Amino acid sequence: MIRIDAIRALLQVLNSQPVLANLGTNTYDLFAAGDRPENFYMWGAMGSVSSVGLGLALARPDLRVIVLDGDGSLLMNLGSLATISTLRPANLVHIVLDNRIYETTGGQATHTAKGVNLAAIARGAGLSQVREVRDLPSFANAAEAALREAGPWFIVASVEPTASTARIPRRPVYDKDRFMNSIG
Amino acid sequence: MTSTHMDWHAEVARSLKLNGIDMVAYVPDEVTGDLLKLLENDPAVTMVSVTREEEGIAVLAGAHLGGKRGALILQGSGLGNAINALSSLAIASQIPLLLIISERGRLGEFNPAQVPLGRATPRILEALGIQAFSIGAGDDIGGIVDGGARLAFSSSLPVALMLSATGTGGKRPR
Repeated sequence: MIRIDAIRALLQVLNSQPVLANLGTNTYDLFAAGDRPENFYMWGAMGSVSSVGLGLALARPDLRVIVLDGDGSLLMNLGSLATISTLRPANLVHIVLDNRIYETTGGQATHTAKGVNLAAIARGAGLSQVREVRDLPSFANAAEAALREAGPWFIVASVEPTASTARIPRRPVYDKDRFMNSIG
Repeated sequence: MTSTHMDWHAEVARSLKLNGIDMVAYVPDEVTGDLLKLLENDPAVTMVSVTREEEGIAVLAGAHLGGKRGALILQGSGLGNAINALSSLAIASQIPLLLIISERGRLGEFNPAQVPLGRATPRILEALGIQAFSIGAGDDIGGIVDGGARLAFSSSLPVALMLSATGTGGKRPR
């Protein structure tokens, strides 16, 4: 499964749900797959996107909040899984697009390349709606279930290490304001 | 208004409430324990116990995106854990929040390992452009918390309130 194809498949099953993408290639590919006001692009704070998603999910229980994380990013903030588990926001969908490398720093292996299992860590943290998917139809099914059924959801999608060529305007304040206006 | 060690918690909690703070992220700590209890007892406040202070900055950033007003309650040592998210998320994206910091490595510190960061903290905050205001014995606690909150949310930036051991009594060795 190619990451941008997974993101395109996700956008196809979404309406106006907010999507938060971690810095680097998830942000580039989310922009390329479909820039929309309901996208929030992280430009820094590596590892923090699931925590931002948690804060938004708690603040806005009326919204289904989608987080696009990376394996390298999540490994920097594993405590977030523990915090999410204690608070159990039913409207949080945490998706990890696991390419097993640090892509924007030159493709070095992350620990998931050496057998570290993020889904097992999430289960160990106490999360129960956990899915591991390796192909596009399974990913689309998991995403649709996560939009329909109560979470918190944790989906690890194994994707090929593919370089993103998308380049997007870096304008954190503008995008934040646009995002906040879009979710009302 | 002056305060004793006993009632600064209530003054801070009251001022946070008056300023509409409705999400509080924290790392548990006995110095701020009574303040945290007061906030926990307020059904209008969402409490998030985080594993690390940087996580708290990010949770409050998300809360801001969703229209809530946040405060992070932390020890001074935790500021060191939060600097990247403060810089590259909160300041870069103009996300307001209050940092309520119980000082470590400053007046009355018993643990030498806390001192280097405590000594550096004023210059770290200054270098980041974060305005910081000290709250100690004899200070107008409610007024400083109120002013700090107004400043944070008018400027859409983090503001730090430094709880001195002269006001809190400080942390005791265990």
